[in-house]
Amino acid sequence: MNLNGRFARGGIVFPLVLIVVTTIYLAAAFDIRTQFSAAGDIGPRTIPVLAAVLMYAALLIVLVQEVRNPPEPEGDADGGSLLRPVLVVVATGAYIALFRTLGYSLSTLLFVAALFLTFGFETRRPVRFALYAVAVTAVFYGLFAVIFGVRLPTLAGGPI
Amino acid sequence: MDTFLTLAGGFGALLDWTVLAFMVAGFLIGTFFGAMPGLTSVLAIALLLPITYTIDVIPALVMSASIFMAGMYSGSITATTINIPGAPSSMMTAIEGNRLMKQGKGANALGHAAIGSMIGGSVGAILLMAFMPLAAEISLLIRTPGKFALVLFALVVIIIVDKGAIAKGVVATLLGVMLATIGIDVLQPIPRFNFGTETLVEGIDIMPIVIGAFAISEVLIQAQTWRASIGTPDTRAEEMGIRRRDFVPPMSEIRRIGLFTYIKSAFIGYGIGILPGAGGSMAAFVSYATARSSSKHPEEYGKGSREGIAAAESANNSMCGGAFVPMLMFGIPGDPTTAIVLGVLVINGLQPGPRLLENQADLLAPMFASLLISALILVPLTLFLFGPWFVRIVSIPKGLLYSAIAVVALVGSYVATYSAFQMSLALGFGVLAYVMRRNNYSTVSMLLGFILGPDLEQYLRRSLSLNDGNPMVFLTSPDSLFFLALTVVFVYAILIRGRKRGIQS
Repeated sequence: MNLNGRFARGGIVFPLVLIVVTTIYLAAAFDIRTQFSAAGDIGPRTIPVLAAVLMYAALLIVLVQEVRNPPEPEGDADGGSLLRPVLVVVATGAYIALFRTLGYSLSTLLFVAALFLTFGFETRRPVRFALYAVAVTAVFYGLFAVIFGVRLPTLAGGPI
Repeated sequence: MDTFLTLAGGFGALLDWTVLAFMVAGFLIGTFFGAMPGLTSVLAIALLLPITYTIDVIPALVMSASIFMAGMYSGSITATTINIPGAPSSMMTAIEGNRLMKQGKGANALGHAAIGSMIGGSVGAILLMAFMPLAAEISLLIRTPGKFALVLFALVVIIIVDKGAIAKGVVATLLGVMLATIGIDVLQPIPRFNFGTETLVEGIDIMPIVIGAFAISEVLIQAQTWRASIGTPDTRAEEMGIRRRDFVPPMSEIRRIGLFTYIKSAFIGYGIGILPGAGGSMAAFVSYATARSSSKHPEEYGKGSREGIAAAESANNSMCGGAFVPMLMFGIPGDPTTAIVLGVLVINGLQPGPRLLENQADLLAPMFASLLISALILVPLTLFLFGPWFVRIVSIPKGLLYSAIAVVALVGSYVATYSAFQMSLALGFGVLAYVMRRNNYSTVSMLLGFILGPDLEQYLRRSLSLNDGNPMVFLTSPDSLFFLALTVVFVYAILIRGRKRGIQS
């Protein structure tokens, strides 16, 4: 894989992002104020600062390896399109946003339907598609609300 | 005598139908997750974690133990039937088991895997029960500097056994350590890294990290590498018309493998289980290699060796018992599953350490009993009852399966605190873990760094505080010196010697 390929795949972007995150973390670590201190104590900021410094060193090594070395064996998600993971993340974000507003039943039904569409499950057989979506929603309602007695959110004024 | 009575009480607790139901349900869930490529017992326990908020600690621990044992065993199912290990620990089983499958002896291979798992799992559980009081006595001798050196040893081992990518292992572990520093300081009532928000003052709970790292990231990985079904069983398996009795290997084959092989492999697995971060894969690999080098029939290896299956499966199931020792005594998980079981303990207000065994052994004994019963009875029983269906387990539609996992993961995150914030955190950590996995960073190292980070900080600061800031205490304290020396030995053995051998070979 060439440098551009590894950049696009995240081999270089990810450590760069972590360098930015570590910098924010380190800046916040210097803001930590000790409440009390005795002789020999190391304060609450020491370990975070040490962790950040080690993180910089490790990230630098990773970056050098990514640029210099031949490509490593692929990670868990070898190949494939990024579209589906992005769709799953968007559907999940929407589910979390609507979970309390729409209640468990409606939001989960819509979420499951969105995932079925993303995974291409029973999309050519609408009746089965709908039945499976309802079944998944009902089964986990039974598990959480009935068996474990969890109070799941409901659509305003609705029973479930 | 007290220990014996407590353990007997543990077995007695399993007679309660609710606890028994949780054990059996856990075993079946673990079997299913272990048998499905891509799903693991770690994921099963991760999904169980939020549910532990709503059930008692004994059923939660009993269920965790049975999932652990089942998941370790059932990875051999798809390893044999479709040459895709259901769990990484079944890699060696795939080499031999699938060869037998192709010779039309798949049921026989699964039978040998079950017997290896049964013996290894039972030995591991018995060793755990037998040596736990001794381990507790020993752990009482370790003082604060020693505990620091022990946690440091654990973190170093976790990093150096991690796929050989040391720098990425360090990054993943430090990321976990940094995440763990969010919230109230370990020694002073000062909030750290909350960035002015109330929600981060109490820190990040282990649950969204576990759900994100193991469940959400898996759904995202599967979404990327999408195929409609996970695999197709070898057609011959269905044509053969497998009968239940085919899963019972002939006594002559078991005698040929020899009790010594089973027991030796179990001890290897148990020993490796005690090492932090090593896990079932290393146990199976070392045991398989040892069995091969001392085998009377080395020519059979790679062509369907039943001895190879027995050695690998005995070791990886025995590892389950070993992995509980450092987790229960020091809060240092031997592998990701015990890391999540540690989460179950913490959620229920139990703090690992020798006092836990002394004062609340009655809560742990049913978990030990579950480990033994799962290995001794449930492994062979489920194979006998459900074996013919195991070969078809992979034909479950992937879209249905992963949609269901996503729902359990997210609703489970909500259940823990009735907060959508936990769901958002789970999604955030899921995306982070997905990016990490795509780029060969270990999410297990991140989780273990998150768990061990606060201990490392606390023991370091306490040690220095008690010794006027003098770091020489780590070299003058015998227990600390022992673990530091052990760290050096492991770094030398695994990194330097291992690398030299790799170059030579």
